[in-house]
Amino acid sequence: MEKQAGAGGAADGAGPSRKLWGSPTGGPAAGETLDSPTGSHVEWCKQLIAATISSQISGPVPSDIANRENKARRRPDFMVSKRLTAPRNLPALRYGAQVIMSQNQVPLLPGETIQTTVKDVMYICPFSGLVNGTLTITDYKLYFTTVEKESPFVLDVNLGVISRLETISVPNQGENTKGLELVCKDMRSPRFAYKTEESHPDVVELLAKHAFPLSHGLPLFAFLYKEQFPVDGWKVYDPTAEYRRQGLPNESWTISKMNSTYELCDTYPSILVIPTNITEEDIKRVAVFRAKHRIPVLSWIHPETQATIIRCSQPLVGPSDRRCKEDERFLQIIMDANAQSHKLTIFDARQSSVAVTNKAKDGGYESESFYPNVELNFLEIPNIHVMRESLRKMKDVVYPTIDEAHWHSAIDQTHWLEYIRLLLAGAAKVADKLESGKTSVVVHCSDGWDRTAQLTSLAMLMLDSHYRTLRGFQVLVEKEWISFGHKFAARVGHGDENHANSERSPLFIQFIDCVWQMTRQFPAAFEFNELFLITVLDHLYSCLFGTFLYNSEQERAAKEVQTTTVSLWSYINSQPEDFTNPFYVDYEHHVLYPLVSSRHLELWTGYYARWNPRMRPQVPVHQTLKELLFLRAELQRRVEELQRDATSHSLSSSSEHSPAHSTGTPLHTAV
Amino acid sequence: MFSGKPMKPTFKCYLPPVQTDVKKTIEPPIKKLEPKLLPGEIVVNEVNFVRKCISAESSHDDLWGKLICTNFKVSFIPQDVPSKQKSQLSHLLLGEHDIPLTCLEQVVTVNDTKGKKKVLGSNQKLKFNPTELILYCKDLRIIRFCFHEAGPESAKKVCLAIAHYSHPADLQLLFGFEYQGRRYHESKGERVNGSSPRGGFRTPIFDRSSDWDREIKRTGASEWRVCTINDDHNVSQSLPEYIVVPVSLADQDLKKYSIYFTDHRIPLWCWNHQNGSALVRMASISDPVQQKKIDQRVFTAITKSHPQRSEVVRSDLDKCLPNIQDIQSAFVKIRQICVIDPFEESEERWLTSIENSRWLEYVRAFLKHSAEIVFHLDGKNSSVILQEEEDRDLNCVVSSLVQLMLDPHYRSLLGFQSLVQKEWVMAGHRFLDRCNHLKKNEKEESPLFMLFLDCVWQMMNQYPAAFEFTETYLTVLSDSMWIPLFSTFLFNSPKQRAQHLKDFAKNKAIPQSEDQAVYFPPVWDWSQQFSTKDQTLFNNPMYVGKGAACVQNGEVKTFRRTKKTYSSTLRGMSVSVRNGTRSGEETLTRRGSLVSELKPDFSPVKVETPSERFFRDWFSRPVDQQGLLIPLLLPSHVALWKLYFLRWVPEACIPRGGPSTSYHKLSLLVDEIETLQSHLRQYKGPSPGSTPLPSPGGPLSDHRRMYFKASSRHNPPTPPDFLTSSFPFTPVGNLCRRSIHGTPISKFLNGARIWLSTETLNDTV
Repeated sequence: MEKQAGAGGAADGAGPSRKLWGSPTGGPAAGETLDSPTGSHVEWCKQLIAATISSQISGPVPSDIANRENKARRRPDFMVSKRLTAPRNLPALRYGAQVIMSQNQVPLLPGETIQTTVKDVMYICPFSGLVNGTLTITDYKLYFTTVEKESPFVLDVNLGVISRLETISVPNQGENTKGLELVCKDMRSPRFAYKTEESHPDVVELLAKHAFPLSHGLPLFAFLYKEQFPVDGWKVYDPTAEYRRQGLPNESWTISKMNSTYELCDTYPSILVIPTNITEEDIKRVAVFRAKHRIPVLSWIHPETQATIIRCSQPLVGPSDRRCKEDERFLQIIMDANAQSHKLTIFDARQSSVAVTNKAKDGGYESESFYPNVELNFLEIPNIHVMRESLRKMKDVVYPTIDEAHWHSAIDQTHWLEYIRLLLAGAAKVADKLESGKTSVVVHCSDGWDRTAQLTSLAMLMLDSHYRTLRGFQVLVEKEWISFGHKFAARVGHGDENHANSERSPLFIQFIDCVWQMTRQFPAAFEFNELFLITVLDHLYSCLFGTFLYNSEQERAAKEVQTTTVSLWSYINSQPEDFTNPFYVDYEHHVLYPLVSSRHLELWTGYYARWNPRMRPQVPVHQTLKELLFLRAELQRRVEELQRDATSHSLSSSSEHSPAHSTGTPLHTAV
Repeated sequence: MFSGKPMKPTFKCYLPPVQTDVKKTIEPPIKKLEPKLLPGEIVVNEVNFVRKCISAESSHDDLWGKLICTNFKVSFIPQDVPSKQKSQLSHLLLGEHDIPLTCLEQVVTVNDTKGKKKVLGSNQKLKFNPTELILYCKDLRIIRFCFHEAGPESAKKVCLAIAHYSHPADLQLLFGFEYQGRRYHESKGERVNGSSPRGGFRTPIFDRSSDWDREIKRTGASEWRVCTINDDHNVSQSLPEYIVVPVSLADQDLKKYSIYFTDHRIPLWCWNHQNGSALVRMASISDPVQQKKIDQRVFTAITKSHPQRSEVVRSDLDKCLPNIQDIQSAFVKIRQICVIDPFEESEERWLTSIENSRWLEYVRAFLKHSAEIVFHLDGKNSSVILQEEEDRDLNCVVSSLVQLMLDPHYRSLLGFQSLVQKEWVMAGHRFLDRCNHLKKNEKEESPLFMLFLDCVWQMMNQYPAAFEFTETYLTVLSDSMWIPLFSTFLFNSPKQRAQHLKDFAKNKAIPQSEDQAVYFPPVWDWSQQFSTKDQTLFNNPMYVGKGAACVQNGEVKTFRRTKKTYSSTLRGMSVSVRNGTRSGEETLTRRGSLVSELKPDFSPVKVETPSERFFRDWFSRPVDQQGLLIPLLLPSHVALWKLYFLRWVPEACIPRGGPSTSYHKLSLLVDEIETLQSHLRQYKGPSPGSTPLPSPGGPLSDHRRMYFKASSRHNPPTPPDFLTSSFPFTPVGNLCRRSIHGTPISKFLNGARIWLSTETLNDTV
């Protein structure tokens, strides 16, 4: 049973108005989204929404609201290339990322150029069989369309998502037929077969060149992309403003520019929050004692108790149990900064056995005997290699086909949800220590840029309702992940062909999965929706925006990322309605602890299994709510109109409409 | 302190709890703990100074009080009544700590010091003094009492009484008979000058030919007629008195054939598709010679009743679906995993355990088979005969699911209730045996109705706006099976029901002319159990909201109309990339390129069967939730029904979270919409063209349909703190497993196992 919204099916419905409803893909705005930089997956999500929404429209009423809605959303600067005019040719949901189009025309982003076009290529779809068409390769994407006018079929894969290119054997086809598999980072592996001709450039070579530009001495596409957005996403995160929101600086904490030239620590941001009464000299000594010079700094402060979340890397204790007086004093000062508690809790994210092994490698952990009043806890979270392997197994479970009889046990065997559980449990412990224990917390793993970022950002999401808003979440990612040097370039491998690099690991995906799990448990507590989370993950790979490029703030500054690339948040915040959760109610000042139990953790099929058309839900709940919101707005408008009419009527001829009048007046107060 | 004398039952005790609450607050600290008794209810035994265990970890929150066994329930009356959570669903006939005896699955006594444990049955002896009593309930609660401070003899007596009274020797000993008799006589005065007998509810019972006539008319089954040969159950013991049969079959023939069917169950019409195809259920014929002959006659008659004379498809459910024992064992396993096994242990490999229970697999199997039947009825215009040896178990599940998928009428509250009446109660599902109310034969026990409810929930989960009722309704309905006060779930067949009610009427001196639904009402009159306010928890805001939308447009959708648009979209549907279909084939051969050559090697999909094609076509179109509904059936689409299976599990309860928070938001929204609409109507005045709302009782301010009401439009309130994933139920005190050594706390500190969020409930910044 597969979901595919044929253009015919939709068009035979209640006319064009149906498609306009609630979706930016509808009507005259259709071209906009095709040309938009969202990438095909987002298109797919939107089309899914469009397809399901249109099914629920009961009649003509919403059309005018929808129209208005659409106009509000349409932004002229988003329209770039050819429009699709006929309503029948609206993009609609198809298998995978495939979008129906009428013309064999490739929509291009500003700055994107076509590299080659190959005819008579077969797309070997694991769900619907073989599709014959034309393959276009640009410097940003691979675009496959069918030649048939009747059943248009589009597959759009951005090149950033490709992890590796593999040739596959095509049986009995002679020398000049080649098979190609694109193994992608986002859990799919589209396969193609094509005939090679001497006059043509080699497809694999060309793809490799643009999928892995850094390995070929080319720039990432983000530097070529020339879209203009009305909102500047680079302005979303201003560290000083964010710390000010938290009430900083205060008497105990100061905003320091010590690292403004990245000399103290080259993987930290330039602006740091450190204790007031500690000298620069001492800090330098602490830096020497901490791995990669990642000293303890403040991430978040509790508005009432002044308990803080501190992040850092492991101390360089080494096999000889080295000590550092300044480091010990530093933690003492952090503890003293919080008058509510005479303890300090250190959460070491690692497995205790690993932490011990690290001692032999000159790393280690804080000894409770050297650090008075410190309580050390290990969270027993496995390392990046375990996580990579877990997600690899998950891909086998969800793509291309699933084993129906053993679906649940297969998920168990990947241990993915178990690791999600460990992470959420760890973050909940951190949050609870601050909230209930009123105790400051130090979080570190080995280098303090992987598990540490996961834990601090999740704990902050639980503690601070600001981070559950659309803007606040962007700040959280910018701050805890990007500015504090999560090695996005290394973990994702942007533009790099070395797919076997052991530095790669889906840590950020794991974090977003945890966020998704929280949104499932608290459907009304987050301002952003699932589409937002999927969009963020898609552009983690796409290299379209500069947001996730490079490993540290220092590198980004050197490459002038902010001036030469576009921020993902520019795109998101230019159309926030698409990414907003209609259920959202501000749980201000509420700490939300997710229930960390296997009973409530689910596999995020909406992300991991989205390429399988049979795995999709038929009706997402929030559609109905959106629709009802429109209905309410419409009713409100009409009530107000009638109230006006009634008032004017009653003035002119009160006798004529007395019943309406008499019942109508008291209603103002009743609403 | 207390006299052991049974309380004299009075009618007063049955009144709403408001008065008694007032009384309690006035009373001095040491107060008499008196049970609230229903008419006819008597106290059998009681014991004081009992501790009801609330949490497995500590006895800190435990309640002290009196444990009472009556002829209806086990009742615990706490010494200090904690301020009751307002949010909970409160039952009008049962207190917070009450368990009907019928709801008991197992009565277990334990002596901790001697290390002894015994499962008690009827009329048994107990050689040790119990220190603990554990009650395993059929609604999945596990309730534990400690007797360390109680008199050992009276504790023992109460345990034995509970065990004994929960194993009634005879159906008539179920408390409902006593209760309804008393109630009938005591309320007679009120009823004389009042409402019509069936005024309390409008659910058709299908015990009269007019109910069937209406159904024939509603579905347009013009070639079918109500037949009365089973009047007084003369032909079959388990069929209803009125049966719908093909017009072409004469009464005499039916009588003749009937002797060959199991239990003389001649084919029974269920429903008609508007394309003319009919859904029929039938028992099997054991004699192969007769079978062939009669089959042919029956098939011919059904074909004749089809406007297009389409052929009849037979589906033998015994051959393709799990049997009742399989289902029972799957349920036992999933119950074990969800509520009985220690929480921590089952956390490991949770999904694997769920899979191993096979419950979800069976849910899928029934939904899938029902969808196949839908394909025949809707996609192929064929009439379908569901055949099962007895036609009283699997047929009930499948026929009702098929009708739910095809006919939106059954997705309304009243429609759903009539469906259960028609396909379960009147069709002779053995509720008495399958529920094992008398605890006589465990082999006959099987949670088929529960399985059906789970299937309905799956559809509801996938199509949230398609059903008028909520999962709370389904859960409450399942709980009602274990309250023996309603006639719905007590009998094996309409005949048994009629017989018992006749005897009962005779015994209680109720005039024979009286309507059974009056003196022994079915469950459908929900005001018996819940206040009007609580009943609004049954209303699905999304469905209500939709209804509002429809009326707003001046059109009330009907099944027929929906159907029309549906087929018109079918015609437009030609553009898809399919494997092995004509359009694909043409392009491939025309090009004569790679495609055709590669095809055999790379085609992952087998040749599509017509039903697969039908389903795929359906899924490729936008869903009309008021039209045909087909559930998605990959294992990833079929979920565990958490409200039902986990509502009592304290460790699994999400404070401030769960689906109830979105239910809350939706309810407010719909309430606001309804208020606005009523304003609109008032402005417009009564116009003749406007259609009234589909369900009665328009959304006027005094009769609002949402549990949560919008207060101010500009100030959307945060979901109240009492909302949890268990709402409107509460796990507090309802699930207390035996504590295990090495508490979860220590585990938690060692190895980051589980976050006990119940510890940190008060966490406002």
